[in-house]
Amino acid sequence: MNKLNSRPLWALLGTILVVSLALAGCAAPGTVPTLTPPTAAPAAQPAGATATLPPPTPNGGIIFHSSQFAPVNEAETMRNVILKGAPMLVDFQPQATGPYVDIPLAQQKAGKITIAVIGGQHGDFPAFVNAGLLDDLTPLLEKLSDRGFPETYLTLGKMGTDKQYYIPWAQATYIMAANKDALQYLPEGADINALTYEQLTEWAKAAQEGTGQRVLGLPVGPQGLIHRFWQGYLYPSYTGTQVGGFKSPEAVKMWTDFKELWKYVNPASTNYNNMSEPLQTGEVLIAWDHIARLKAALEANPDQYVTFPAPAGPAGRGYMPVLTGLAIPVGGPNRAEAEQLITYLTDPKTQTLVAQNLGFFPVVASADTSDLPPGVKLEADAIATLQGSADALPALLPVGLGAKGGDWNKVYNDTFQRIVIKGEDIQTVLNEQGAVMQSILDEVKAACWPPDAPSEGPCQVK
Amino acid sequence: MSAKTGTINPPRSTVDVPPLNTAANKPTLAKTLGRLGLYVAAIAISMFFLCPIYLITISAFSPQKEIFAYPKALIPQSLTAETVLFFWNATGVQASLVNSVIVGTLTVIFALLVGAPAGYSLARFIFRGRDSYKLLILTTRAFPIVILSIPLAVNYISWNMYDTLWGVAFAHTAMALPTTILVTASIFIGVPRELEEAAQTLGCNRALAFIKVAMPLALPGLAAAAIFTFALSWNETFAATILTQRNRTLPALILSQIADVGAPLPYRFAAGFFLIAPSLLFIFIMRRYLFGMWGQVVK
Repeated sequence: MNKLNSRPLWALLGTILVVSLALAGCAAPGTVPTLTPPTAAPAAQPAGATATLPPPTPNGGIIFHSSQFAPVNEAETMRNVILKGAPMLVDFQPQATGPYVDIPLAQQKAGKITIAVIGGQHGDFPAFVNAGLLDDLTPLLEKLSDRGFPETYLTLGKMGTDKQYYIPWAQATYIMAANKDALQYLPEGADINALTYEQLTEWAKAAQEGTGQRVLGLPVGPQGLIHRFWQGYLYPSYTGTQVGGFKSPEAVKMWTDFKELWKYVNPASTNYNNMSEPLQTGEVLIAWDHIARLKAALEANPDQYVTFPAPAGPAGRGYMPVLTGLAIPVGGPNRAEAEQLITYLTDPKTQTLVAQNLGFFPVVASADTSDLPPGVKLEADAIATLQGSADALPALLPVGLGAKGGDWNKVYNDTFQRIVIKGEDIQTVLNEQGAVMQSILDEVKAACWPPDAPSEGPCQVK
Repeated sequence: MSAKTGTINPPRSTVDVPPLNTAANKPTLAKTLGRLGLYVAAIAISMFFLCPIYLITISAFSPQKEIFAYPKALIPQSLTAETVLFFWNATGVQASLVNSVIVGTLTVIFALLVGAPAGYSLARFIFRGRDSYKLLILTTRAFPIVILSIPLAVNYISWNMYDTLWGVAFAHTAMALPTTILVTASIFIGVPRELEEAAQTLGCNRALAFIKVAMPLALPGLAAAAIFTFALSWNETFAATILTQRNRTLPALILSQIADVGAPLPYRFAAGFFLIAPSLLFIFIMRRYLFGMWGQVVK
């Protein structure tokens, strides 16, 4: 009986075994379908030269390892639109945070690097720089001297050394967006393009009274970018610093005001990682977030939203430009093609393509951004308004913190949690967290960065 | 020989047959309420599992704008395969689905090849240190594999196992073995030793007795172990992401392009649907064999 009836199972398992072994054999490295057919096939190579070339281009193209444009829709745009015009076949490999850092480091340790180009945001690179993984791209940068990269961005790419570890790729920032339904609650006399934090609080309060719901949203979720709000927006706006005034009386006033604002913030904010979704569902009518994380809502319904700069405080209108960059690992394969890829990606035309399709803005002076889709145009307008504001106060991403970037963000987030969520005494929390902050600064010996005044020796929390 | 094993245990089902014509046989209020409670509980438990699956499925097949509609309609207003097709046609998705099936199957095979004999020996032989050995097997599950990430990848690269499907299957086998061994051990304990001895008196050698007697009886248990192992491999993302670059499994691809990178909601539903559907299908197929054979053995 058993023998009889178990036969189909064995047949099934046997077939699966044979098929999977056969497939596993076929599926040796490099069988993922080709990604971007080369527009100009590498026919330029003389036939005899192939033997002298270093490792040949793998089947799928040179590997472009990136933490940016990872969501499947953006990755497909990257492959099918942006990289389609690249002079070589590119295998675009987006990664989540953990493997993004671990894979290159493991390849470096094993002495067998398959990644040709690494793309990431400024805060991604310290881990690689500390491991000595990244090559000095100063010679490549000299070849790209016609690009007109802003000097500040080149300095950020040096990671506090005299070597060019990454070449600027694209930039972004954080802005605010509001559903037009919320405009009726805007306090009288307030100019939406020149709001103050006080007016934002009044607006959120009026909107709550009008709608019966707390409709201001902030990305305080586990993967949200709220730490940039404290670092680049609130602190600079209230204290004119990101570090120095951390526990100053101005900071106490700032947290007191923010506690008041928090009363009108949607309580689900602690779950929001990006604001485009709550904006689209209508749970949130007014939001602050990274432009890439607002884009989906603005694109889906450009007529329904207005965009505007983040508010100003007593010290100015703090804002944080965000920078992504391109790097090449030491000992990586296909060096010449890797450099060509960076050259291609920093070409003004490619930069325009990225702005039009992915909503990250050019870092080169000559890129044309006059023709943008409506959603991206909304963002570009808000950024232009912001940069044109008389009180605009740019605050840079933390410079020189190395691998301590995560701990640094945690100081700000912990401060928020203790003061606003747990209701602890503001000055006490600021003193304690300020000490944590100082110990990080002392450990990595990081000098102050804008908007703090330059310092000799480690930056000081006053 | 083995065909008769089913009749060796005398049928004991008579014990369960309710006596006829007794007062207890009449439906009483308490009994009806009990039955009702049972059904309510059964429905509640089913809903607990089915609701998310249903919501994911209808969201995957809803137009993108409707996903953001609030409040959510429980019956979809219109259906479209647009998001699902976009995901399905996205670079690497189909390949990764095939990869996942291959890795899962290889893992089941490796784990049973190594785990079933280990389970058999744990069940049949008494040897010094058997209990500590059992405990030792479990400790591998207690080990936080995340801290192994870079060393594991480094070794895989230097052994030329990096970015291969069988390499990932080995890693999954290592993770699955504790469960496979302990499950198969408990299965083999349930197979009476006397049956094998009887087979040996009738001319089988030890191996043949195992194959002809013990194995067929243990098959349902082995199938259950196979389901666990397959599900473990199917859901595993850590080893699959760190040990591959081009040859991703589906969950690894979803992790790096959907889950951990904040992909828009519609794509998350589409990906969720692709994760759920094949494993449900697999369990449905295996379930038939599982119940079918189990029924026979108990008979």
